[in-house]
Parts: sequence; C-alpha cells; structure tokens
Amino acid sequence: MFHAVVAVKQVPDTTNIRIDPDTGNLVREGVPAIMNPYDAHALAAAVEWKRRLNGRVTVISMGPPSFTTTIREAIEMGADRGILISDRKLAGADTLATSYVLAEVIRAIHNEDPIDLLLFGKQAIDGDTAQVGPGVGVRLDMPVVTYAVGIRAIDLDDDTVVVERRTERWTEIIETPLPALLTCEKDIAEIPFAPLPDLIKSLRYEPEIWTIEGPVAFEQDMIGVRGSPTIVYQMGTPPLPEAGEVINTRETSIDAAVTFVFQKAEAAGVLGTILGGEK
Amino acid sequence: MNNERIEFDAIVVGAGLAGSAAAMVMARKGLNVALIERGQKPGGKNYFGGAIYTHAIAEVLPDYMDRRPPFERPVTEAGFWFLSRDGITRMTVQGGKLNAEPADAYITLRANFDMWWAEQAQAAGAFLIPKTAVVDFIREENGQVIGVLTDRPQGEVYAPVVIICEGVNNLLAQKLDLISHDLEPAHIALAFKKVISLPMETINARFGLSDDEHGLAVSVLGDVSLGLPGMGFVYTNKTSVSVGLGMMLDKLAEYRLRPYDILDRYLDHPAIAPLVKGGQLLEYGAHLIPEGGYRAMPRLYTGGAMVAGDAAAMVNALHWEGTNMAIIAGQQAAETALEAHSRGDFSEKVMARYEDRLKDGFILQDLKQYRGFANFLETHPQFMDVYPNFLNDALGQFFSAYGKPKKELFRGMLGALTDRRTLFKAAGDIVSMARSVMGW
Amino acid sequence: MTARRFWVFIEQEQGKVHPVAWELLGVARRLASQVAEEAQASGDEVSVEGVLLGHQVRDIAAEAIKYGADRVYLIDDPVLAQYRNCPYYMSIAAVAEKHQPEVFLIGATTLGRDLAGAVATALRTGLTADCTKLEMGEVKGAKQRLLQATRPAFGGNIMATIVCRKHRPQMSSVRPRVFPAAPYNPDAVGEIIAEETGVTEEGARSCILEFVHAQEDTVDIEYSDVIVAGGRGVGGPEGFAVIKALADAMGGVVGASRPCVDAGWIKYPHQVGQTGKTVRPKVYVAAGISGALQHKVGMQNSDFIIAINSDPNAPIFEVADVGIVGDLFEVIPAMIKEIEARKEARV
Ligand SMILES: Cc1cc2nc3c(=O)[nH]c(=O)nc-3n(C[C@H](O)[C@H](O)[C@H](O)COP(=O)(O)OP(=O)(O)OC[C@H]3O[C@@H](n4cnc5c(N)ncnc54)[C@H](O)[C@@H]3O)c2cc1C
Ligand SMILES: Cc1cc2nc3c(=O)[nH]c(=O)nc-3n(C[C@H](O)[C@H](O)[C@H](O)COP(=O)(O)OP(=O)(O)OC[C@H]3O[C@@H](n4cnc5c(N)ncnc54)[C@H](O)[C@@H]3O)c2cc1C
Ligand SMILES: Nc1ncnc2c1ncn2[C@@H]1O[C@H](COP(=O)(O)O)[C@@H](O)[C@H]1O
Repeated sequence: MFHAVVAVKQVPDTTNIRIDPDTGNLVREGVPAIMNPYDAHALAAAVEWKRRLNGRVTVISMGPPSFTTTIREAIEMGADRGILISDRKLAGADTLATSYVLAEVIRAIHNEDPIDLLLFGKQAIDGDTAQVGPGVGVRLDMPVVTYAVGIRAIDLDDDTVVVERRTERWTEIIETPLPALLTCEKDIAEIPFAPLPDLIKSLRYEPEIWTIEGPVAFEQDMIGVRGSPTIVYQMGTPPLPEAGEVINTRETSIDAAVTFVFQKAEAAGVLGTILGGEK
Repeated sequence: MNNERIEFDAIVVGAGLAGSAAAMVMARKGLNVALIERGQKPGGKNYFGGAIYTHAIAEVLPDYMDRRPPFERPVTEAGFWFLSRDGITRMTVQGGKLNAEPADAYITLRANFDMWWAEQAQAAGAFLIPKTAVVDFIREENGQVIGVLTDRPQGEVYAPVVIICEGVNNLLAQKLDLISHDLEPAHIALAFKKVISLPMETINARFGLSDDEHGLAVSVLGDVSLGLPGMGFVYTNKTSVSVGLGMMLDKLAEYRLRPYDILDRYLDHPAIAPLVKGGQLLEYGAHLIPEGGYRAMPRLYTGGAMVAGDAAAMVNALHWEGTNMAIIAGQQAAETALEAHSRGDFSEKVMARYEDRLKDGFILQDLKQYRGFANFLETHPQFMDVYPNFLNDALGQFFSAYGKPKKELFRGMLGALTDRRTLFKAAGDIVSMARSVMGW
Repeated sequence: MTARRFWVFIEQEQGKVHPVAWELLGVARRLASQVAEEAQASGDEVSVEGVLLGHQVRDIAAEAIKYGADRVYLIDDPVLAQYRNCPYYMSIAAVAEKHQPEVFLIGATTLGRDLAGAVATALRTGLTADCTKLEMGEVKGAKQRLLQATRPAFGGNIMATIVCRKHRPQMSSVRPRVFPAAPYNPDAVGEIIAEETGVTEEGARSCILEFVHAQEDTVDIEYSDVIVAGGRGVGGPEGFAVIKALADAMGGVVGASRPCVDAGWIKYPHQVGQTGKTVRPKVYVAAGISGALQHKVGMQNSDFIIAINSDPNAPIFEVADVGIVGDLFEVIPAMIKEIEARKEARV
C-alpha cells in the first residue's frame, strides 16, 4: 500500500508581517500562523495520490507545541497520521540540525511502515532557504527532485515515480526510483476545500508528540543550537538608500518633468541607454 | 470515507456573542452542541466599538472574572462629546456607579473577546467547528428544521434544534422566511472604525486617565457625520484607541459618501486629531449595525429553530447596546432548547416559549421602548448640526469673559441658538428626544 | 603554511555558463583580499578557485580563469552532461573533502539551490541562503576572519548577519545580479586541475526522460540593460500596453510588481523582487509601483532608477535617482514622445 510522508512547517503569514518601528523587531503578536503554503500544496498532492492508490499519508513537523494546529490542518486536508517532534532541546535548529531530526524521524517511520514518497515544500516562506528538503534526501541517501510541479505517474510495482521539474529554462521530465524525495512548487496540486467529516476528524485528532526521550534516539550534538553550525550574529533593519530628486507634475508641466528626467539621465551617463541602447 | 450522519443535540450558527452564550448554556446542561463558525477563528472578523456589559456576561457565566476575560479597560468615564466645526463640548460622567468593581462595562477588542467567549463555550463542552459556513437548513416536509447544510462537501449536520446567531446579515433568517427581505438600508447603520496604537502612557495622558484601570467610552455627536444622521465613538483600549462612527446606509448611498473619507475627516477634526497623533494604524474595519429596532425585527422562531442577537435586530442604537442583548437572547434561546429537549418536543409551539422569555426580560421591553429612536435622528437632523454648534458657541461665549454685562452675555448665548433654531422648536426637539428614548 | 581557498561553483547548463558564476568570482576575489594581510602574517596562501562540472566544458574552465580564478577544478564526465542532484552533489562533496575550501559560494539559481543544500548536508556544514552582503570580518572569539553573510529574513523586513564558526567550508548562496560581474582579463593565467567524479550512471539514480521548453514568454529580465516595470498603479492587464510601449522605445523589457503577477495581469517571469527576480539594469523605470521593501530588494542595485508615481509619499522615491510625481498614463506617453524626438534628432 502506498505510503507518503509530508514534512510541514508552521510559518508566520509574511503577507501580514509588521515591524515595530521603534525596536525594528518583528511583531509576532497577532500575526497569524499558517501552514507553509508550499507544504500545503505538497500535502494536497500526497492526498491526491493516496486516494488514487488507496494508501496513507503521514505528516511530520518539528516545532513548538503550537504547531499542533498545523498538524490538525493537515489531518483536515486528508492526512491520516500526524507527528509533531517537539522538545525544548530541539529549539534553535538551523537547516542542518533540522534535516538531521527530520531524517531520523523519517527513518523510524520507514522501519515500521515503509515509505514510498517523501514530499517537502520548495521552501519555507519564513526563511526562504530551500535547504531542508535536499538535506534530508542526502542524509537518507534518497534521490531528490526539487521544484516539482507535477507527478505524472507512480508505479508501485516498478518502484518508480515520474516527476515534472521546472527550472528557469525548461521543464524536465524525470524518472526516479522509489523511495524518492520531492520538494514541491504550488503547481504540484490544488488545495481542495476539505469535506466536513474530515474537518471534524481533525478537530478531534490528537497529534502524536515525539520528544528527545523517544521513540527516536537523537544524538545530542546534532540537535538544536549545538547541532547548528550557523548562528545569527547580528540583526538589523535594511539600510535606507539615498533618495534622488523628485519633480511634481502638478507644480510644473509634464513636459518639463520629462525634460528634467532626461537631464538627470544625461548627467548620470545613461541617456544613451534610454534612447534605445545605442552606445 | 465514512458516511455516517453527523449528528448533535443542538446546532448554534455563529460563534459571536449570542452564539457562544447559547452554546455554553446548552453544553453545560449536557447537550452535545455544535457551534459552527464561518471564520478562521471566533471573532476574527467581528467588529464593534466597543464596550461590553458585564451584567449579561455574569448572567451566563457568573465566575467570568476568574476566567481572565481579555478586557482592555473598564469604562470609568462615559458620556457624549459634541463637536462643532472646530470645537468640542464634553459631557461625561465619572465616579458613582462607574467605580463599581467589576465594572458595569469593559472596553474590549472583539477578536480577543470572542475567542475567549467561545473558549468558555468549549470548556463547557460545546464542539466548535470553525472555517465552515451554514448556507441552508435541512427541513422536514412540514417545515420543521432538523439540521443545517454547510458550504463544505458532505456538509450536512443534523440536530433537532438550531439557534441562529449569524449576526447582522440575516440570510439564514430569510431562508426560514422569518423575515422576507434584507434589512432595509434605512434600518442599517454602517459603522467603520480605526484602531490606532499608542503607548499606554500617552493614552492615559491625552485622555486624562490615571492608569490603565481607567477607560473612556464616549459617543460623539455633531460634526462627525456631515450633518447626516449618525454618531461617532471613541474608546480607549490599553495600548490603542478605537475611533469610528456609524451612519445610516441609505444616507451614505444617497449622498455617495465614502466611509473612509468621512472617517478621515473626523480623525482630522482639531479636537480629535491631537488625541491620536503619532499613532500607528493597526486596523481599519467596517461592520453593519441593525438599527431598525423593534419594528425591523424578524419572527424569532419556527419549528426547530430560533434567532438571536443582531440577526434578530436586537440592538439599542442610542446606547450602543447590542452585545448584552445578544448574550441574553442566546441564553434564552438555549433555555428554550433545553426545555424542548426535556419535553422531547421541538415544535413551533415550544419554540414560542423563547419569545415569552424575552418579553419577560429587558430586551424586548427596551427595544419596544426605544422603537422610535431609529427614526428620531433622521427626523431631527439638528442634533447632528445645530445643537453641537450651539453648545460650543454658547459655552465658548460663557467662558470668555468679554467684559460685557452678564445679561448681554446670556442674550448672546441664546442668540447662538436662536440664530439656528427657534426656542420653541428647540424645546420641542428636547421633548421628542426624550419621547423616543423613553418610548412614549 | 595552510591554503585558504575561496571556492566558487561555476554553474553551466548545456555548455552555457550562468553569469552568476562570474559575479561570484568577483565576490570571492574581494573576500580573498580581505584576508590577505592576515594570511601574509601567518604565511598562509590565499586563492580563488572555481569548481566546474559537466561534459566537454574545458573551455569554460579557461574562461573562469579570465574572470579571476587562480585555479579551476574540472570534473568532466558524461554522467555530468546534464545537471542532476545526486551525481553533482556527490562529486562536489568529494573534491571539497579533498581540498578543504574555507569558503564556498554558489549562485542561488534553481540549479544552485538544488545543489547547495545537498552539498552542505553532505559536508555537514552551515549554509546561508540568498545573501545580499558578504564580508570576511573579525568575529569575537575567532582567530581568523570569518565569513559574515547578511541576508533578508521575514519577508525582507529584517537583515540577519550569519556566521558559521567551526564548520568548513562556510557556504553561502547568492542570487544572480546582487553583485556585479568580476572584471574580465584575457591575459590572466591559472591552472586547471582535472578531478574524477566517482559516480556511475547507476549511482546517478534519476534519469531525465525529456526536456520541455516552455513556449510562453520566457523573458530574461535579469540580464537586460533596461527594464520598465509596472505595478498595481497600471490598473489592469491593459495598463501593461503602456509599459510595453515605453520598454520598446527604450529597447528594454517589461518588469512587474508581485500583485500584478498574482492578479494575472502579467506572467511570473516578469516579477521583480524578493520572490521574483533580482535585477540590476542600467536603467530601471518603476511606474505605478509603491516601492514596498520586497520590491526594492529586487531592484535597488540598478544603476539609474526612474520612478513615476502619483503619490508624492510613495517609498519608491526613496530609492529613485529621479522621480516624477504624476499620472503614469500622462507621463509615459510624454517620455515616449521625447525619446522618439531625440532619436529622430540624432539621425
Ligand atoms: C461599530 C460598532 C460598535 C458597537 N459598539 C457596541 C458597544 O459598544 N456595546 C455593545 O453592547 N454593542 C455594540 N455594538 C453592537 C454589537 O457588536 C452587536 O450587537 C453584537 O456583536 C451582536 O452579536 P451577535 O452574536 O448577534 O452577532 P455577531 O457578533 O456578529 O456574531 C455573528 C457570528 O456568526 C458568524 N456567522 C455569520 N453567518 C454565518 C454562517 N452562515 N455560518 C456560520 N457562521 C456564521 C460570524 O462570523 C460571527 O462570528 C456595536 C456594533 C458595531 C458595528
Ligand atoms: C514575503 C513577501 C514577498 C514579496 N515579494 C514580492 C516581490 O518579489 N515583488 C514585489 O513586487 N512584491 C513582493 N511582495 C509584495 C509587496 O509587499 C507589495 O505588496 C507590492 O510590491 C506592492 O506592489 P505595487 O507597488 O505594484 O502596488 P501598490 O503598493 O498598491 O502600489 C501602487 C502604486 O501605484 C501608484 N499609482 C496608482 N495609480 C497611478 C497612476 N495612474 N500613475 C502613477 N502611479 C499610480 C500608487 O500611488 C501606488 O503607490 C512581497 C510581499 C511579501 C510579504
Ligand atoms: N521544522 C520543520 N518541520 C517540518 N518540516 C520542515 C521544517 N522545516 C522545514 N521543513 C520542510 O522543508 C521545506 C524547506 O524548508 P526551508 O529549507 O526552511 O526553506 C519546507 O517546505 C518543509 O517541507
């Protein structure tokens, strides 16, 4: 039976982010937390294939207890099982430590219930790093296909998957043996409106909480701050560039404003470029 | 997928003030209650001024103060401000009843309050189903309501009794033919407000509040609403100020006014601007208020269903009262549902007991008493314009010594009024205002 | 004496080098110079080195030297003819183990991002993505200068500087066009060192069945000299006709802010900004764009920025070299007229 595991992360909805003008710090209060959008689409793809192949979907997430809402949301979207890996000692993890924990957890799940497909989001919108997926693939020695925009076929007899991968220049159609790890773009699947019974199931669902006490034994040096080679050394707000001159058409004429711009361009040595690129 | 029927003892539509109250009361008595809310979370999109009255909360949840309600500040100063073009007359009270502990009313923000309120319902055992809108009813041939239809696939939910607390958009009441039409624009106010963040100390200093255990709630009349029927308000939260106003929808449409412009104009008023200067806009929102009062109310029940709160136009516009009516109505509907369960009879006859209960309480009595007020502001535009200006001129003259004989001064003050409206008419206005408030 | 190697991944696909490689060689050279003094004192040797993978790509290695590489490690093998995650990361990890670079820079292109996370994990080291500023600086408690990698976080509202104290190499990915290309010196000399991949076709695992080239407009706005970008102020898809007309008159391409892409007025490849392309054209015209942080980070390195906006307080004016407060539908036609007139006058 088909088994997919999807890694989901909870992120602040960055479209709603506010910065405290005095401290320059992020105001987390009142910023809604959402499931990382790419992960949601990855999950939708997993559920689509689970329905087609009559299988199961497990979601995993590493984070604080508040991430249970995201796991419940995953159940609402059709996942069958949700595991939250949550422990104080895991906090402060960078992508390397995160990929270690997720890889160990996936190994444990795999031993008990073999996995065919691992789905990750293309990137998490809070950090935009896009590193955790490939990192987990390397640790598990699994083939990785990033920027997946579609799954064309899954063959459980042959153990292969055919994936569409979009790069800047073209789309590649890639065949990869299973188990494989994909990191997904939003195009991978549409997010459907969950049926009411699934919502009700999710509201009653209690996610499994795994800690460093078990069931997986983590190496202390590999997790949390200790397992993270990178540290944030400084934080600041972006520097303000120097503003140029502004002319208001309501105070002069439009033609005068245009002339002014051309004068400035000439002074900056880019007039030739403006006039069609001649040198 | 399982195709089992989703079934509860009772369904409440809308986790607002009325809905969570109803769910709480029923769940506490052991009913299996579904509280269905279309928003992401209870209160996420709900808006009001505003202040919430504790008498109603206490009625449903006597130990509310021990459950850490997310109140901003108690209302320790209340009253009216009258704005003229460039001045202000304040008429507010402090002390006395306003010093009670817990206070009569607390200023709050709905997003926080509704969340907490729904949590109390959940704690009592109600099952909250968010992100789901009820779109219609499941009914038997004779019209008896036996469940609801939601907007989700496989979205039927069954229960022998449904309490509709959908707020001002009375779409569901219409589906049950309890009312035949949308609320009329002349019966709805559009309220819009800005929440502006300011440091607590700044708020305390600007509003003359000694600390954050003191709060101001005022209605603002006069140069807020361009002389059209309408009323503004100012509430001090802990670290923000809510400023807004309500105007009748028909007038906004008739004069093609844009709410945002009116609100900005009001915020630019020389008496208001300094209060919010330097603050950061946290949110801007708008919400409707059913101000039709008693005369615009729908039928309150049918077989297997009842309507409570704004959905039933239970608002006292002059006092910005709605939350308390919603809570009490929700409670009364819940009591009726409990009675129906114990009798095993959900027919229209038993649901009618809901209306009886309301008649015994303040809601229907108040609403009946104030039934003329909705029309009052409309027929007496001078309250938006003449009187506030008069007050400012008159008091302005009074307090600037002028070096004139007092007799002359009073003549001047009277002149400030009679230039605008004859004394006779002014007396008449006062009588008719009193009438509309007292319900004569 | 130890070797302090500053590595750059020379990205190529089907024989075509991604210009970000030349940009990173410039960065690596600058970083190397920042440790020159310290290295001299301890007798260390500092070098800028390229890593190039592919099949029959030796010419590119020679090019890399002209862009400033002292040395290029070349892994030339049929298994690497097409980019695939497995053989690439494994080959690179192996050479990195062998030569122990101190710093390793990779372009944050789709290919580079796919690769960087895998390489970093294989080498069990830290990686900072999408850096906009890189310095070799003194860090308290560290004996040598460390790579201080600054990148936007939380939707560009905050800049975070990240260091990797103990693990090597210190890896960073950098988006194209954040830095200028290194100077080209046709007479530069350096060595090309051939390395083995060690990965067989079986080890490569995945197999590319087919390449599908998109027909829809695949503009390459990243490397255009002139970009005329429209924002929500253009009002709708029709508004982009005006933008296009100016772009045509200037011989440039059309860019856009995200809401226009989200609304479907124009396709994603045109998007400039944090979640779109980073650009640094000679001239960037922003019309009807308010200048949100997330847009500015994508275009503020342009040589000359002209902003047209009806709102005098629009933040776009803060980054503009010259700004016109006015209606773009009046200003742009006037600009086109002026351009045509001046072109006319020249012939
Ligand atoms: C600007 C303003 C200021 C006010 N100031 C005050 C004040 O100071 N004091 C006071 O007492 N009153 C005040 N009121 C009035 C008061 O807010 C309302 O009377 C009160 O909120 C009514 O409560 P309710 O439960 O009936 O409706 P609501 O609080 O509106 O709750 C309705 C709920 O139902 C949900 N819902 C709607 N349709 C559906 C559906 N189909 N399916 C599922 N869920 C649905 C909504 O999302 C919402 O959560 C003010 C109102 C406004 C607009
Ligand atoms: C995580 C994250 C990533 C993001 N990534 C990007 C990104 O990559 N790229 C991006 O662009 N945005 C991005 N955004 C969105 C960004 O925050 C802004 O919302 C967006 O850039 C605003 O686009 P705009 O300037 O076109 O629209 P608006 O902010 O609505 O501005 C429109 C402007 O047009 C002006 N205008 C209107 N009519 C006229 C006229 N007739 N003539 C002249 N001027 C006129 C107005 O004064 C206004 O300034 C991102 C946001 C987040 C949170
Ligand atoms: N803490 C986490 N828990 C679960 N999955 C994660 C976590 N962090 C990252 N991921 C997954 O890795 C992807 C890439 O994340 P990032 O490398 O942070 O951009 C995300 O889209 C998720 O699928």
